[in-house]
Amino acid sequence: MIALRGKATEVELSAPIARRVWKLVDAATLTPQRHSRAFLAGDDGQAPDGFDLYLSRSAASRPDQDATWLRLPEDLDYLSGGDVVSVSDDGERIRVLWRHQSHQNSILLTERCNHYCLMCSQPPKTREDDELLAQAFELLRLLPRDVAEIGFTGGEPTLYGQELIDLLRLCRNLHPEAQVHVLSNGTRFADPDFAAAWASIENPNMMVGIPIYGAEPARHDYVVQSKGAFNQTIPGILNLAQLGQRIEIRVALHKQTAPALPEIAEFIARNLPFVDQVALMGLEMIGLARANIPELWIDPTEYADELIEAVTLLDRSRIHTMIYNHQLCLIPRSIWPWTVRSISDWKNEYHAECASCNVKDDCGGFFFSAKYKVSENIRAIPIEGTQEPAVLQI
Amino acid sequence: MAKFLDPEAYRAQSADWQLLPFRFERINGRVLVTNLVGEHLFLDAEEFGQLSKGDLPADSPLVRRLRAKHVIRESGDDLPVELLAIKARTRYRRLSEFTALHILVASLRCEHSCPYCQVSRQSSDKGAYDMSSETAAIALDSVFRSPSQNIKIEFQGGEPLLNFELIEEVVATARQRNETEGKNLGFVIATNLALLDDRVIEFCRANNVYISTSLDGPADLHNKNRPRPGRNSWELATAGIQRVREELGVDRVSALMTTTRSSLGRVIEIIDVYVEQGLTSVFLRPLSPYGFAIKTKSFAAYDVDAWLPFFEEGLDYIIELNRAGIPMVEQYSAIVLKKMLTNDDPGYVDLTSPAGIGIGAIVYNYDGDVYASDEGRMLAEMGDKTFRLGNLHQDSYEEIMLSDALLGPLEESFTQSAPMCSDCAFEPYCGADPTYHHATTGDFLGRKPTSGFCRRNMAIFKLLLDRYESDAFTRSLFQTWASH
Amino acid sequence: MTGHVSFDGSTASIDAVQRAAYRLSDRISCDIAAGEGSIEVTVHPAEPDADVEALIGELRNEVLDQVLRERIRGETADVRNLVLAVAFSKTGLVESDG
Repeated sequence: MIALRGKATEVELSAPIARRVWKLVDAATLTPQRHSRAFLAGDDGQAPDGFDLYLSRSAASRPDQDATWLRLPEDLDYLSGGDVVSVSDDGERIRVLWRHQSHQNSILLTERCNHYCLMCSQPPKTREDDELLAQAFELLRLLPRDVAEIGFTGGEPTLYGQELIDLLRLCRNLHPEAQVHVLSNGTRFADPDFAAAWASIENPNMMVGIPIYGAEPARHDYVVQSKGAFNQTIPGILNLAQLGQRIEIRVALHKQTAPALPEIAEFIARNLPFVDQVALMGLEMIGLARANIPELWIDPTEYADELIEAVTLLDRSRIHTMIYNHQLCLIPRSIWPWTVRSISDWKNEYHAECASCNVKDDCGGFFFSAKYKVSENIRAIPIEGTQEPAVLQI
Repeated sequence: MAKFLDPEAYRAQSADWQLLPFRFERINGRVLVTNLVGEHLFLDAEEFGQLSKGDLPADSPLVRRLRAKHVIRESGDDLPVELLAIKARTRYRRLSEFTALHILVASLRCEHSCPYCQVSRQSSDKGAYDMSSETAAIALDSVFRSPSQNIKIEFQGGEPLLNFELIEEVVATARQRNETEGKNLGFVIATNLALLDDRVIEFCRANNVYISTSLDGPADLHNKNRPRPGRNSWELATAGIQRVREELGVDRVSALMTTTRSSLGRVIEIIDVYVEQGLTSVFLRPLSPYGFAIKTKSFAAYDVDAWLPFFEEGLDYIIELNRAGIPMVEQYSAIVLKKMLTNDDPGYVDLTSPAGIGIGAIVYNYDGDVYASDEGRMLAEMGDKTFRLGNLHQDSYEEIMLSDALLGPLEESFTQSAPMCSDCAFEPYCGADPTYHHATTGDFLGRKPTSGFCRRNMAIFKLLLDRYESDAFTRSLFQTWASH
Repeated sequence: MTGHVSFDGSTASIDAVQRAAYRLSDRISCDIAAGEGSIEVTVHPAEPDADVEALIGELRNEVLDQVLRERIRGETADVRNLVLAVAFSKTGLVESDG
């Protein structure tokens, strides 16, 4: 599990910290630019002049410059040039906003949300947190032009309304080739004006990921704990579709949704056939999900039939379908082609069984949080032909 | 942390359910329910009782199924209306894109003498029975008047290759004209392949022309149906099929069968021939009511009953072939399944309402006469010109397309307002066939209780639904067929 | 061998009885007449040696289903028209007001 935040172990402020968001530069990535950049000194403390902020790793020597300096905690020692961090006013709290080596950066825009999903991995807070949005604007300006993928998440990003539109327009203008993925419950798009504003961003590389948890209101509304949600999310999707916007439907798989998976797949194929893709997501046992384990936990082997049926139906309806966050030994082999190795690398762990597994490299492994609840059926997959595997062979 | 509410808080507050339009049929003790756009579900007698008596609770698995399939809605819930409207609009989309298939009869001449064929002439007099360049030119004017973005020109006959020069001319002219028209233009030659030679192959390659041919089954069956000098129709057809597959591509040739009484009982042999020839689709066609049957007025519903086991055995055999990894599609089933499982329109002119006559397909005969359908042309050869819409040399496009000869049968055969059809749960899957009903009963609508068309299609719908519900592999296979 | 059956005019309409008779018209032909608060049906089987009572039983069941269909049509006519109006309002096949 890679840490994304930490406390500086030493701080020396020579002046109030000028800005929140900093792009890290080290010896390997040094350029003449100084604006918005912080220098990450090497172990010997060597550093060029001119930066407003210097950082050292946990066991490195302090650089000589007479500017604000922080010492990183050990679990942020992995940071290097090209990464972007935010630093609190007092210099103590560091949040990693962007890891340049990762393909799965996700920009958190807010922790506020108008739903309250049973399995929410990012429990909603009510505090106004616009500073996250402000940092996102800064971050976009610091990223290289050729960044490949940018993810925006929350909470519910559309709570910002026009400001979200502005942010995404900036993103398109500064990074026109980047694949942009925004997560949203989609309810705000039921407002045709907002859907139109979204469409006016005109980014053909942008897709919104919207969850659906039922083929009718009762189930969906219960899972997101919001009465009337289904009757806003679906019209929102329809509005976006009418404007030619790219849409991914996400279905979190747990005890409340897995039994209805074939019905949900049929609903999507018949009523929303225009969607660009469907993502079937394994559960992450953090946040609210931990509080609701009895309502949510189901061993994936128990919904193998439903999964096969749903994937088959969607595939035959020519809807691109992907299965995320499921260990391969728990999924029928016949649908392995639809799995994606997907657990964000900063959340990734493996089970003891995995040491001898032949397909470990193709498997996403586990969320770190899986220690709270894991299937009894995890088994290493042996090399074909050596022995009978004790797992699903459908 | 806020409290989580139980599912009860999110279900409908009261059992204030409103029905959305649906139809039903009782099948083997269960009840098939179809909604306005043909989505189906099966209910047992007790569940149907709840639905029909309005005896549904505020929440139950049945209530959720009925809501998901747009059979009921909560009072005041607009979303089901909007979704049904979108789906209905998709289903009827083709109405504004009319006439996608244009059949040109290049020549009535043919060296085969198939007993059931009404249209061919044994003759070498090209002038008498070949389409002229002038006629073809006017036909092309009509072709490009169609609003449909997808246009397919199909050469038929007789044997169209006997007037190959005309085909070359029409294809060249159409392609040149299409540079400004910008349609998705496709060409098919429906031929018995006896006259396939290097020149034809080269032409088809250069112009991306597809071949449609007849393959009735094993040689004895095929040759009995299709006599020609030399008695080698089957040998020429199969050699031609292989030649097209190898020199143009495996997807460039498709085959249809004509089913006669001799075919009954031999469906597995017939399908096996298709497999041997490397073909991946077969169309288990019904016994035709035209031809001898009409002359003798002997076509009756019992012919359907004789044919249905042929179809059922063939379908089940094809499913087993697929299970064994041998790809084979039954074309009629695929057409029906697309209507059952999707909102898309297969564009099959013989199973659609409004009928496909004129607006799905239109026929330009060698002499310029325009017919609403190929069967309509056949009837004219037998003396009944009901479906003759006009002549290219005398009537304008508007006069032809707005003629009573076309609009009358379209309106009268419309199933959504027809007795029995309007109540039928299978209506979204079915169609109007005014030519068939006119030929067998004398009116465009027919009497569905005694109609062979109705009897056959109802049996096929029930069969397909039964197989769909029974087995996950078949379900997935049918979904694949429906999506092509 | 003809048969006879009576339907209660307050629970079944003539239309429902006619539709039921039509559906079975491959096997029976019917004379349908209005009686005193009832609908009188004389049933003539197409096959001379058919089981008339069984056919009358089928007719009764079919009338019940037709009565149900009539009720469904009545209850859903408005929403059906609404759906089709919305469906065709944007196709150009129907002139829209707005």
